[in-house]
Amino acid sequence: MINIFQVAYKNLLRKKSRSGLTIIGIALAAWVLVSLLGFNRGYESALNKDIDNLGFQMLVTAKGCPYEAATLMLKGGTGLRYMKEEIADIVRKEPEVDEVTPMLMQATFDPNKGESGGYNAYLGVDPNTFPKMKSFLEFKQGKWFTEPEAYETVMGYEAAELEQREAGDMLLIPEKNVELKVVGVLKRTGTQDDGTIFLPLKAVQKIFGMKDELTGIGIKVKKEADINKFEEKMYKLPDVQVVSLSQVKQTIMTLVSTAKVMVFSIALIAILIAVVGVINTILMSVMERLQEIGILKSMGATAWDIFKLIWLETLILCVTGGIFGTALAIATAKATEVLIRQLLPYAPSGGLVQISFALVILTFGVVILIGLISGIYPSWRAGRIRPLEAIRSQVE
Amino acid sequence: MALKCEKSILSLPLAAILLLATAVLLYAAVGCDLNDPDRDVARLFPGSTGYKTNYVGIDQKGGPELLAKIEQRLGDKFHGLYETIDVPYTLYDVFKGKEKIGYIHGVNEKGQYGGIQVFVVLDLEGTIRAFYFQKLTSRYGKELRDSKFGEQFVGLSLKDFYAYDVASGKAAPSSEVNRIKNPVPEAEQDFRAALRGLKKNLILVDEFIFNNKHLQYFKPAGG
Repeated sequence: MINIFQVAYKNLLRKKSRSGLTIIGIALAAWVLVSLLGFNRGYESALNKDIDNLGFQMLVTAKGCPYEAATLMLKGGTGLRYMKEEIADIVRKEPEVDEVTPMLMQATFDPNKGESGGYNAYLGVDPNTFPKMKSFLEFKQGKWFTEPEAYETVMGYEAAELEQREAGDMLLIPEKNVELKVVGVLKRTGTQDDGTIFLPLKAVQKIFGMKDELTGIGIKVKKEADINKFEEKMYKLPDVQVVSLSQVKQTIMTLVSTAKVMVFSIALIAILIAVVGVINTILMSVMERLQEIGILKSMGATAWDIFKLIWLETLILCVTGGIFGTALAIATAKATEVLIRQLLPYAPSGGLVQISFALVILTFGVVILIGLISGIYPSWRAGRIRPLEAIRSQVE
Repeated sequence: MALKCEKSILSLPLAAILLLATAVLLYAAVGCDLNDPDRDVARLFPGSTGYKTNYVGIDQKGGPELLAKIEQRLGDKFHGLYETIDVPYTLYDVFKGKEKIGYIHGVNEKGQYGGIQVFVVLDLEGTIRAFYFQKLTSRYGKELRDSKFGEQFVGLSLKDFYAYDVASGKAAPSSEVNRIKNPVPEAEQDFRAALRGLKKNLILVDEFIFNNKHLQYFKPAGG
């Protein structure tokens, strides 16, 4: 005995091309929806992770453009100007401050990197405070520096992989012709730390002739402290600027949300096109089968039976399209991420498109809703067909 | 009829699963690539008009058995954190119009003071047309990256490199490889790393592309 599902399925197979094209339309809409919602979630979580993994909530740098400085710090680049190390001591004395970590970023040109050379960056960190602030960092091999001024390095996983370094190996700073001993290789974190070469702060100052100079001070504020008031206080320090990372996040998210509105509008249009496509397909299918529906009704099928049959056809189209669209979104998530990174070069590290099980369920919910809504009118029209009129109309 | 219908229904989730499997493959990491393939392929292979990029790995091609075979041909074990079975290798098929004219392939190798990226340009027979250090962290980088050093490898193939023992760093006295001169004696460690990288590179290409064409010249240690 053939059931209603098989009847609906066979009806769709009668017009393979039309059903196929409608499924493609729905799949594309589902793909756009999953990718955009995945991007929305992934971008925010990657940005939060990047900022949280800095280990501090506030960054004091020498005066310059705060957004450029913050972006460069997030990407592991160099600061624009230098400030004196004594500022770190001043900041440390503030009652709101829990911990302070001074940093000095330097870069050298390596003529033997690529066809026309390239830059290597080195981050000098304070061995007493930096590891404590970055307590989440784990070692694949080795450990932190043995001495505050040792010519030693701890390498992020990707930096170590590029240089093929392991604990115990030597690393050369090309322009300075200085050898460093690799004492540790970090595990992957998915953040800017993966590509960073860490050295003791004093060693960087000595190697690059930057005694008492810093490019940044990371500040961890006490939990009970009022960050806004503290920030105001920091602004009074001479020749420095304060970058509150919550502000940076807010600013970046505001910029991104403008782009998101546009992208969500496109998704909405894609969904509307899919809805219209489904209505069109099912309605045409109903019109072509007037006589058949009339015969079914004359044989005893109720209006509700016909309504169910047509509605089921719509649902099959939408669910199939939803499965393909979601699978396509997952399959192309990496490619989507590569594309986004080309469009947004300063995007945070880590996965930019996060497609979770909940998101897949949500998309299916939306797709089924599309199916249910767009199926109502054609199903209602089919259910209202009068058997004799329908049979006669096509005979004539 | 009902059975046919059920088969069609089953084909949909199967297609979705296939797409999901592709997604897992796409998440794999990428190994030693040319920094700027458009520019680098044209420069390394004059006369070429295009290229196609392929990714291939020992784990996909043959797993631990293939690794053991490659190590035997190399005369050394893969070692360290980064020289592993799951490293994806990037192979560039080079074209002139629609005609394939050669290959470019690179590997990472551990040097004395940093990573070395050894690229080799091959014709369709597996003969070296050009040798290129894309990256070389060394005190003697200038000398080793000099074109005169790279020119010593032109015309050689894996057949010649079987005469080179990567463990001892010595080549058979009568071999072509023995004629390759290290421009800076102090850079011996990087020189040997370059030769090991090149031999590994040629063995991988022989396995991945040339269907082990050069295996006939291989003599196992003690054989």
